[in-house]
Amino acid sequence: MTTTLAGGRAARRQTMRRIRPRRSPAVPLLLAVWAGAAAVLWLWWHNTPSIADDNSKILNAGRITGLLAGYLMALVVLQMARVPALERRVGSDRVARWHAMSGRYTLCLIVAHVFLTMWGYALQAGKSLGDIVQQTIDSINQLPDMGKAAIGTGLFVLIGLSSVGGIRRRLPYDTWYHVHLLTYAAVFLTFWHQITTGNDFAVEPTAKTFWYGLYGTVTALVVWYRILTPIRLNLRHRMRVEAVIEETPGIVSVLIGGRRLHRMGAEAGQFFRWRFLAPGMRFSSHPYSLSAAPRPDMLRITVKAIGDHSARLRELTPGTRVWAEGPYGAMTAQRRSRGKVLLVAGGVGITPMRALFETLPGAAGDITLLYRANSTQDLALWDELAKIADERGARLMYAVNSPEGERPDISAENLQRKIPDIDHHDVFMCGPAGFAQSVYEALRGAGVPARRIHHESFEM
Amino acid sequence: MRKSHPIRRVVLATAATVSGVVLLLSLKPASDPASASAVGAAAQQSPQGGTGGGTQASTGSGTVTGDATQTQYGTVQVRLTVAGGKVTRAEAVQAPKGGLSDQKTAMAVPKLNQEAVAAQSARIDSVSGATYTSTGYKKSLQSALDKVKPSSASTGGAAGAAQARTVTGKVTQTQYGPVQVRVTVAGGKVTEAEAVQAPKGGLSDQKTAMAVPKLNQEAVAAGNADIDAVSGATYTSTGYKQSLQSALDQAGG
Repeated sequence: MTTTLAGGRAARRQTMRRIRPRRSPAVPLLLAVWAGAAAVLWLWWHNTPSIADDNSKILNAGRITGLLAGYLMALVVLQMARVPALERRVGSDRVARWHAMSGRYTLCLIVAHVFLTMWGYALQAGKSLGDIVQQTIDSINQLPDMGKAAIGTGLFVLIGLSSVGGIRRRLPYDTWYHVHLLTYAAVFLTFWHQITTGNDFAVEPTAKTFWYGLYGTVTALVVWYRILTPIRLNLRHRMRVEAVIEETPGIVSVLIGGRRLHRMGAEAGQFFRWRFLAPGMRFSSHPYSLSAAPRPDMLRITVKAIGDHSARLRELTPGTRVWAEGPYGAMTAQRRSRGKVLLVAGGVGITPMRALFETLPGAAGDITLLYRANSTQDLALWDELAKIADERGARLMYAVNSPEGERPDISAENLQRKIPDIDHHDVFMCGPAGFAQSVYEALRGAGVPARRIHHESFEM
Repeated sequence: MRKSHPIRRVVLATAATVSGVVLLLSLKPASDPASASAVGAAAQQSPQGGTGGGTQASTGSGTVTGDATQTQYGTVQVRLTVAGGKVTRAEAVQAPKGGLSDQKTAMAVPKLNQEAVAAQSARIDSVSGATYTSTGYKKSLQSALDKVKPSSASTGGAAGAAQARTVTGKVTQTQYGPVQVRVTVAGGKVTEAEAVQAPKGGLSDQKTAMAVPKLNQEAVAAGNADIDAVSGATYTSTGYKQSLQSALDQAGG
């Protein structure tokens, strides 16, 4: 069965829109982050008149790493606060990679901070490096808020371990996710010792105020965007499963009804984090892209059954309540510059491409979609795509394995032959990591500038 | 979509962080330029500072160096610059050094200096986190002030310094350990109160560090044993008050 969601009025209107490219705010944000780090180092510099001996050097190294860790910790949490500027302008995938990278770095700083500080205290008490464990226990007993900080640090190490590649792959997603939520507790527990024992905050009331400000702002953003905003969204739109449709073997579409769904501000190319309130599914949410431009009464996602969660989607019954958070993702029409567009989809990566194919502004002949799948049976949503191509005067191409199982050759030369002016295109791409990487190289070889290749990747 | 090089990134981040921290540490001088010059000045000053302090003070300006006070972490010694009978500058020529003490000194001494100039007396607030240093500082400051203003009312009158005596109260047992208070009385006034014994060990260390300085201040301010208990350290406070009362009884009698 094919339900065609193509040809909605809203979608047609979008194709007529003017192209207004918007830059990602990544560069100014990164500059602000570096400026903040410089300010934190200045605070240490300002409060440290001199360093007399090696022991003080160790202690001061402990202070520097501690201050930086405290600063980055706030940013690591901020990156996951689902702030629209980050999720929709910078891109959820990029922010998630920043989060993973800065999270690892912060954890290393924390470990260095604990080690250096305890080593320094041990030396100061006339003991040696070997007594560091005893020194740590003494410090936890004697200094204010150190017990909390120790528990928090333990949690950080646990969270870090659960995110190490090999261990994470073996853990069920839900377990990993819930362990990760402990970050909030760990941040809370380690915050207080920064204020009560941190030299720089004891000396400088202004620094203390700024520190409270930083953590307070992050807390407010988390509460607002991770808790209050989704509650408001779901109370307003009251989404339910309308139908589940098998598109091709292994790929299902879920149609989701609700009230005034066009008011959610979702655009083609974006995704929501979906939680289906059905037995066994209500405790985890998963990101799936919209596979059609949102209609006032209907959203659609198209999902390939690869994990436990996606396999269970086909058993959803109509009427199941849906809890959604979003829209997120920056791979939208805003990313393109003026000119033609090539969309490249690999397998189920067709979902956001399908929505963009329908709605990207452009005249006849401006839009081309290249769809890669294993076989013609695996070309999900093909009928819809053909219809859209027909109506819009867009080009639709597919590449499948030959009957002998040979892979099609997506090379720079082939791309140039099929699309002679490919170097004047913006390219949107979605598909498995290996596929995306090889297509990226082919595109670069064919003369497409890197800044015009738009790709979302959730591989860390 | 640029190729990522995880190993290279790890190596770069580690190298950048380590060299950045080492650079910052090595750029800091081994001794504080300000305090180094003060120590140098003190060395020239001390031969006359000890004996000639009073004479200088009588002319209304000059520097006076207080007594060196021993604390658990090292010696504290305060030097005052006096002009027109007023303290215009206070500095520590000696302060605890080494390890954590460096930090505490760096944190506490500038504040104590400021407070001393602002208060023109030794009744200044301790810097939290540097209680020992603060207490030592105040003692040395008091001794310097005594030399500057032998006639000042605040230190107990002209003969006060000569008549000053210390009285130690009875040991009071509390649930957490003994408390014993010693007061310095000059000209009928309590100029100083301190605990020679207080609960020790574990949490008690913290409570003592928190409560005793406050109680000392209150005792000096009130001049009697009718002082507020420090919340969170009720037993210590009660013991303190009892011992203080007994000390005051002895001083009065």
